[in-house]
Amino acid sequence: MPLLLPILLALACAPLAYVAGRWRPGAAAWMGAAGALAALGALVHEWTTQAPARLVLPWAPTWGLSLEFTRDGLSGLYAALALGIGALVVLYSRAYMPHHLAEEGRPARDEVRFQGLMLAFMAAMVLLVTVDDLLLLFVALDLTTIISYLLIGFDREDPESRAAALLSLVLTGATSVVFFAGAMALGLQYGTFSLPLVIERAAHSPASTGALVCLAVGALGKSAQVPFHFWLPRAMAAPTPVSSYLHSAAMVAAGVFLLQRLYPLFAPATEVRDGLLAIGFLSMGMGSLMALVADPFKRVLAYSTIAQYGYALVLVALGSEGAPLYVAIHAPCKAALFLTAGAVTQVTGKKKLSEVSGLRHSLPVLAAASAVAAAGLSALPLTVGFFKDEVFFHALARRGPAFMAAGLVGAGLTLAYTLRLWWGLFGGPRQDAPAAPRLLVAPVVVLAAVILLGGLVPGLLVEPARAAAEAMRGEPSTLELAYHLDARAENLLAVGAWALGALLFATRHAWTRALSRGLAAGSRVGAERGYRLLLHQLDRLSTWLHEKEVRDLRDRVASVLVPTGLLGLAVLGVTPLRDRFKVGPVGWADVTLVMALAFASAAALATLRAKGHLRLVLLISCVGFSLAMVFAFAAAPDVALTSVLVETTFTLLFAGLLALLPRARLERAQHEAQNPRGRDRLAAAVAGASAFLLSWSALSHLHADRVGARTVQLAEAAHSPNVVAAVLTDFRGLDTVGEMSVVVAALLGVTSLLRLKGRR
Amino acid sequence: MISFVPPLSRLLLWPSLIIALSLWLKGGASVGGGFPAGALAGLAVLLQYVVTGRDQTRRYVAVRYAAPLAGVGLLLVVGTAFLPVLAGYTPMTLFPRPDQAEVGVGGLHLHTALIFEGGLMLIVFGLVVTVIDRFALRTGTQEESGP
Repeated sequence: MPLLLPILLALACAPLAYVAGRWRPGAAAWMGAAGALAALGALVHEWTTQAPARLVLPWAPTWGLSLEFTRDGLSGLYAALALGIGALVVLYSRAYMPHHLAEEGRPARDEVRFQGLMLAFMAAMVLLVTVDDLLLLFVALDLTTIISYLLIGFDREDPESRAAALLSLVLTGATSVVFFAGAMALGLQYGTFSLPLVIERAAHSPASTGALVCLAVGALGKSAQVPFHFWLPRAMAAPTPVSSYLHSAAMVAAGVFLLQRLYPLFAPATEVRDGLLAIGFLSMGMGSLMALVADPFKRVLAYSTIAQYGYALVLVALGSEGAPLYVAIHAPCKAALFLTAGAVTQVTGKKKLSEVSGLRHSLPVLAAASAVAAAGLSALPLTVGFFKDEVFFHALARRGPAFMAAGLVGAGLTLAYTLRLWWGLFGGPRQDAPAAPRLLVAPVVVLAAVILLGGLVPGLLVEPARAAAEAMRGEPSTLELAYHLDARAENLLAVGAWALGALLFATRHAWTRALSRGLAAGSRVGAERGYRLLLHQLDRLSTWLHEKEVRDLRDRVASVLVPTGLLGLAVLGVTPLRDRFKVGPVGWADVTLVMALAFASAAALATLRAKGHLRLVLLISCVGFSLAMVFAFAAAPDVALTSVLVETTFTLLFAGLLALLPRARLERAQHEAQNPRGRDRLAAAVAGASAFLLSWSALSHLHADRVGARTVQLAEAAHSPNVVAAVLTDFRGLDTVGEMSVVVAALLGVTSLLRLKGRR
Repeated sequence: MISFVPPLSRLLLWPSLIIALSLWLKGGASVGGGFPAGALAGLAVLLQYVVTGRDQTRRYVAVRYAAPLAGVGLLLVVGTAFLPVLAGYTPMTLFPRPDQAEVGVGGLHLHTALIFEGGLMLIVFGLVVTVIDRFALRTGTQEESGP
């Protein structure tokens, strides 16, 4: 199974880094980066030496489920991005996190946790891009959601950070549930969750629009497109390496990746694609405008991400074969710029453009490297970014002048805000700052070198770009990357965009204030406000329910018992009544049984008049023990043994619990129990009558030969002569697994609750 | 007053645990099983708590690590249930299969159900002991900081 090697290596990174971190916190990053590079090496080796392949591991064949992985152009391109940028970001964090943790007043050990989470994020991303199965796709998608939640909320003492993490979890989690609905709809429609099969069958009967819209919503939420865009700037509360990875190669790319992976389903649905196109242009415009006025430099980059993925969305919606390439080229540029922003913040302690300037003198290497990255982002020639805009313009040029104009404005805005960012950091009047640690600068330099190399030798990119385009569209690709010195539409548009960007940058002081005022007015009615209102209302609803529920223990019990009782009575009411309630004969052989039952009834009646909780506990255990006696007489020694043991344990635990409760509360409960209200009697009557009638009815229908004999036979065949054990472990084994999980959950609850109280 | 109860309870511990183990091992064939075995082992520890107190009882390793033991138990249970899935069987497939020959000596039958039951035993034991331990901790702190 050679296909699994890179995946397994990627999955192994986080545990390896954790182990290394136990030895020495600083070692975690190096170990993790080495693992990521090894996985990258394995991936590249396989990709260059072997043909595309699929791997199918049968998982639950009876349910038609299997674990399917693929090695095609798309998965190779995105996995290489996730691994390569992941390794660089992890190394960068080695230099960044100790400083960050010291500022937050946290122990240096926490770095290991951070690196582990980063590497787990990387592994989830690799998993997401290599699976070829709708269900696994969803699982991997949710993995990235959960890990990004932990990463964004890494500074858990900071309320803003926690709120941002929650926002991203709620938004991307909710939209991924919508994605799941779409995946289920597809699975039901085509009878399989295997993607190639789904795509093959979709060629004959196109997927329903509803399912496609669900899938698109999941992808849009992930890649922070309008109207789900507002979680992304808020996620800037995360440590900078997280933002860098999130925006370039992970979370946000995952959304666009989903659309590319599922593109053959979207291809025939023109109306859905038109919707995506509109959303793409909208995100592009909004993100660019916001990036033009934002002051914190991480925010400028965040809005730029929204805009750039808007472009990618446009490319997907147009069905352009450049879509995967666009994301792949954007990733190193954006990662390098984020890492630059983090380095500047660490060196100067400032976070806003208005607070820094002229750093080119003290940070010359960083300035040069980030200039290359900025040039890449704004598509200047000699960087690989040039080709990202070329494929973009190429796709738009086919659709007509209106599209071309929109693309021109978008690209012009990109150049304007990138120039504004770089100039704000490094240009202008000189400011001095201490030198940056080498490890903070090196990853940016590496990324800049990659961006330059791709720009100088575009031929290197042609093969992977074509393979990815083929995997996306399911047909051979003729994508070409080269510089053409002629007056074709792409070149004219690019020149126009540069001119527009330069003009906007030169006149920025004239319009910045008006634009920011306009955007602030717009944000008052935007989606973020809707989200806040919704959250507020949900909060109120849950508070109201909570108040209703916990006000009175008796009401809470009744709210469970009465519906259950009514349901039982309803079941009895709608089923035929013939031979329902039989009264069997009582012979001498049953005397012991009757005695035990009489004892149980007497104890149950005595609980009504019991004073004091300890007596109540003892009476209840009397009921339990007499029922155990019934089981013993009814030739079920197994059940009898278990119930004696359980009864003993619970009696003692109850007694222990009573010792913990405050006396005043016990007395109040006792007083309440002695003075039942009218509705308590009613609830008790409903529940009791239902339980009594249901048991009577069930016992009247016991056909020992029907169920029992068959079970005994089967138990013999299952090598488990003890029927109870056979039922518990074999016939109803999955039930037992579920029950035991509940027990462990209860155990966790007990541990945390009582420890919390003990600490106080 | 020197009571005979503490030494007696300590004497009872190991026999109870061994009976618990035997209940687990013979569960598949006759009366027994993981659930009662865990409850019995838990009861034996409970007795220690009542008689000798928290500090004395926590000298036993299994008592200190009761909650992680429950986690191990859950892993065993889930593993027995879902590992066969990797080999293409349905979840909760037990070995030997109905048509295969049994392996075993006397009352002891080797069967993957045994691992499953062992998981149940550890979970029940972990729950009982942890809850007792938490109660004991709580009453202990209350007495220290009492009114």
